[in-house]
Amino acid sequence: MDSIIIEGIAFSIPLFIIAIGGIYSEGSGVINLALEGLLGFGAFAGGLSYALLSSVITGNPLLLIYASLAFAMVGGALLASLHALMCIKFKANQVISGVVINMLSVALTAFLANQINASVFGQPSNKFLLEIFPKVTVPLLSKIPILGALFTDLYTFVPIIVVIALIMAYILYKTPFGMHIRACGDNPHAVAAAGGNVMKIRFISVLVSGALAGLGGMCFAYSISTTFSPNIYMGFGYLAIAAYIFGSWKISRTFLACILFGFARSAGYVLVQKLELPSSYGDLVLTLPYIVTLVLLLFFSSKTKAPRALGDVYE
Amino acid sequence: MDTLVEFRHITKRFPGIVANNDISLSIQKGEILAILGENGAGKSTLMSMLFGMQIPDEGDILIRGKKEHISSPLVANDLNIGMVHQHFMLVENQSITENIIMGIEPKKRYFGLFPYVDIQSSKEKVRELSKQYQLEVDPESIIEDIPVSTRQRVEILKMLYRNAEILIFDEPTAVLTPQEIESLLGIIKNLRDSGKTIILITHKLDEIKKIADRCAILCKGKMVGVFDVASTTTQEMSALMVGREVSLTLSSTEHKRGTEVLRVEGLSVETNEHIRKVDKVSFTLHRGEVLSIAGVAGNGQVEIADAIAGLLPVKEGAIFLAGKDISGCTVRERIESGVAYIPEDRQSVGLILDFPLRENLCLKQYYQDPYSNSRGVLQKQEMESLAKQLISTYDIRSGSGVNTLARSMSGGNQQKAIIAREINLQADLLIFVQPTRGLDVGAIETIHKKIDELRAQGKAILLISLELDEIMELADSILVLYNGKVQTIKQASEMTKLEVGEYMMGVHVEKA
Amino acid sequence: MLKKPNLFKRIFMICCGPGKHQLLRVSLFCIFLSLLAGSVLLLLLGKNPFEAYRSILQGAGILPKTRYAGKKSQLTDFMSLLNYTTPMIFAALSVAVALKSGIFNICVSGIMVFSGFIATILVGYSSLAPIIAKPLVVLIGVVAGGLIGVLIGYLRHRFNMNEVVVAIMLNYIISYVVSFFIQTRFVDPITRQSVEVGQNARLTLFDYPIMNLKMEINLVFPLALITVFLIRYFITRTRFGFELQAVGLNSKASNYAGINVGKTVITTMLISGSLAGLAGVSYYLGSNASIQPRVLPALGFDSIAVALLGNTSAIGSFFASLLVMIFDSGTTYMSSRMQVLREIAALITSILLLFSAIGIFFRALANRYAREVEEV
Repeated sequence: MDSIIIEGIAFSIPLFIIAIGGIYSEGSGVINLALEGLLGFGAFAGGLSYALLSSVITGNPLLLIYASLAFAMVGGALLASLHALMCIKFKANQVISGVVINMLSVALTAFLANQINASVFGQPSNKFLLEIFPKVTVPLLSKIPILGALFTDLYTFVPIIVVIALIMAYILYKTPFGMHIRACGDNPHAVAAAGGNVMKIRFISVLVSGALAGLGGMCFAYSISTTFSPNIYMGFGYLAIAAYIFGSWKISRTFLACILFGFARSAGYVLVQKLELPSSYGDLVLTLPYIVTLVLLLFFSSKTKAPRALGDVYE
Repeated sequence: MDTLVEFRHITKRFPGIVANNDISLSIQKGEILAILGENGAGKSTLMSMLFGMQIPDEGDILIRGKKEHISSPLVANDLNIGMVHQHFMLVENQSITENIIMGIEPKKRYFGLFPYVDIQSSKEKVRELSKQYQLEVDPESIIEDIPVSTRQRVEILKMLYRNAEILIFDEPTAVLTPQEIESLLGIIKNLRDSGKTIILITHKLDEIKKIADRCAILCKGKMVGVFDVASTTTQEMSALMVGREVSLTLSSTEHKRGTEVLRVEGLSVETNEHIRKVDKVSFTLHRGEVLSIAGVAGNGQVEIADAIAGLLPVKEGAIFLAGKDISGCTVRERIESGVAYIPEDRQSVGLILDFPLRENLCLKQYYQDPYSNSRGVLQKQEMESLAKQLISTYDIRSGSGVNTLARSMSGGNQQKAIIAREINLQADLLIFVQPTRGLDVGAIETIHKKIDELRAQGKAILLISLELDEIMELADSILVLYNGKVQTIKQASEMTKLEVGEYMMGVHVEKA
Repeated sequence: MLKKPNLFKRIFMICCGPGKHQLLRVSLFCIFLSLLAGSVLLLLLGKNPFEAYRSILQGAGILPKTRYAGKKSQLTDFMSLLNYTTPMIFAALSVAVALKSGIFNICVSGIMVFSGFIATILVGYSSLAPIIAKPLVVLIGVVAGGLIGVLIGYLRHRFNMNEVVVAIMLNYIISYVVSFFIQTRFVDPITRQSVEVGQNARLTLFDYPIMNLKMEINLVFPLALITVFLIRYFITRTRFGFELQAVGLNSKASNYAGINVGKTVITTMLISGSLAGLAGVSYYLGSNASIQPRVLPALGFDSIAVALLGNTSAIGSFFASLLVMIFDSGTTYMSSRMQVLREIAALITSILLLFSAIGIFFRALANRYAREVEEV
């Protein structure tokens, strides 16, 4: 039971922050199928910064790790700026731009990782090795029956992401800027008439989505394989898309969707272990979130409301 | 009186046209100035420059005697200029308050640190404003739940909330019923009496007569002149507007009613969201008759037309065409059995904008002989000769003939193309929905004549319009719809325009 | 106001301005820009870009190499290019057909895995004679792909579900389920992929001796070529093609005109799915012989942009496929000769696709310039 919760949280929370990124972008009216590429590029930037800084920052591994998270966000935002440029300035089809950004991300990270490993570190590899992310067990809370697992062996990125997620929710729902983002997704002309700069608002929203996806991607890189490698492109970005569609583009519901996906995954793995099935049964577990989302859409597609102006080009 | 706004030699060009050509105009404080002109005369362009949505290529705009560079609506805002657009600029999934305060949200801080939008005090302020100017709204309603006339009030409140002194209204009455128009005109008068300056963009002469002090007339991008409304007749104004004399009434031919073409019995229709829009409607339509369905926008008229054409399913009741029940037929079967339909939305329903004119004119016949052969291969030459014939018969103007993309044609020519295609189907029943919306006087005249001609040929015509004038002019009989229910069906001669308006508002619901 | 267009603008107008073959010229302009970008990249790495591009063409069998290994020649390289291009042609056609009727088929990857897997287990491991097995593989590809296509079309039409979202879900469901079956039933313990299919079922002949050469002959390449022309005829000349385009440009107006939109969408997806299925069998039982579990083929996603580069026309898709695959298959030679990383090819390809995604913008911009010039 404990391991279901521990593993579930470790997976759900990074997924959640990526999904929030999607909500920012799509909430402002820009379709974002590029999340997969953004999280991968973020993880690459983080992994690279870790590798480069590890000779500079010595004796303080924590600082190094947190710096790599920050660089991952910068990296994600950087690639997202390309998506924003394509969709907002060049008025490219947003779906196609997303697909192309994903391809570019895979190609670019593969090329750069190889090139940099070869020319800077002098070894042929497409990976950057990372350290294990620090974990904490909260002294008193972890003793609570069942729920204590929430506070046991907790990756420290979990509380960080939770705080960031709360801040993002506050910005989106309480501040004027957040109101404008949501208004851009519904009727950009209304925002323009009220003096808002639709293009700028959308641009920033897409950048935010890149930064958050980069952060989530880096956390996956730490928690799943403790390396950056091309294996980061496992479809978590698409899973995040499923999560916010499941959550009707609302942060609170998306949180529940991510928790559901994460726990279904960890519970499935534990079940496979307990029943002593071969590990390939894990693959069936992995289909669950997608099937659940598909079935949900089948029955409630008329009720899940996408932002009204999603995908519309604004001139 | 003081001059508040002055346009000096304003010129604005768009690719292909000169929208405003050397226009000078001054507006006095506290007056209602109407700007009159046909569609495309440049009224909206001129005002969008005052509101900062366009920037003039040449010339200056002076506000309170000072030259201003109005580069965005924000600048206009600071100069106390507000505008109610033709298409409302409202965020549908947010509340009235949120819409009104957008852009100038009052803020408070959590723990004196984190700013947040202070909705609570905004609501109070909106409530106060709505009392002060008698614009009733519930600040907490969500826009998507409120009717058009309320949305318009929200737009007016938006300007007032921003302390606008100069209020621009772009065709504000186009979407309203006669009663709502009365009330809006009252509101506008009130606003002037409390010291605001009003600019009213319109092409409706009677409204100008009712409330405007002065009237500036634009024609083809040029300023014809500014006239004192009290001393100018409507005939004079309309002549100046189009640059020629227009016959404002149609000389209708004698009304001969023939055999029954369409019978609708107890028809109920629901939208795809399962909202009942049409409730047990019955009527009959004969050869040589124009039956008009009047009603406020959104009361089920369009759904009746869609149900007859097969675009919406029949929930209850039946539709008989020449005695045969067609309510279960497909769209194509209905077209083939004689239903022609000029839809409300010519751009997104009536035409495929990215198809050339040739394909668009053949849109309902492409699969038939001679346009396709028996093996399903298109015969482009046949399509082309049909298109050429229709283009010359109906005088459809286009840049490059049959190959012109429908997108690049003017609204009037697009509508002509649709009408040509539908008449060419030789159907007994023609449904016209808002056939003249957004067209200029000349095009309206042509279309009205065409409808009259078709009636004389013995066609049955169902005319759905929001323009009461159009209905009064063309209809033989009038059906008034309110909330999807029939209020009354009478001969046109038995009702006055005002009575129709009352039925449209559901005033007679209890009596009926 | 009355400015004479500057030199840059004039060159741009010649490349992208309105007039004859505008679509083609814009595509060529995009290709030129990406080659330029690639050149900058190569220069930064200290390599001669002309030399690099030349060796790519040599590697792909377009230009002759200086030396060939035994039983190899320019012809064998070229045949190998055609072999690898075949699945891409089908995939790009699949995307193009769907896009013509307004549907994003981003499920090509998933459909490829599905049809490849079904054909592998039904025929690939059987001992049927080649003359029966090979056509059967093609047939299974068409049917299996068509099934998924119809499913997507049906869900979109009947339940109004966004096909992009459905496709994402289906891609991963198919990928994981197939992976599950491969790992439990059909895994090769050494390669960790599915067991290789038998020669009888394979659509590509490897090391086939002709004229003292060892050739790769893709038996379905002629089919791909025929399909290109069939699809073109079908879309531009037939009644159904008219309906398909009408629905793609405006489904509301099509419904109003009496076209059965649902039937059109589902039929289109049947065709698109079948084409993706063909891509799948010619990939997994042709140029490749086994399926890697949990991996969606990148080719399926690349095909979206390839179709776009080809202006979603059949002929355009063919040439765009060829171009992209020249890069793909010429790279090994280039990277070994020039000491450049293989990954640079994928990078240049994605830059190319990036530019083709904004081709529409170039066209609009050029048209705007043209109007400005006209006024002056």
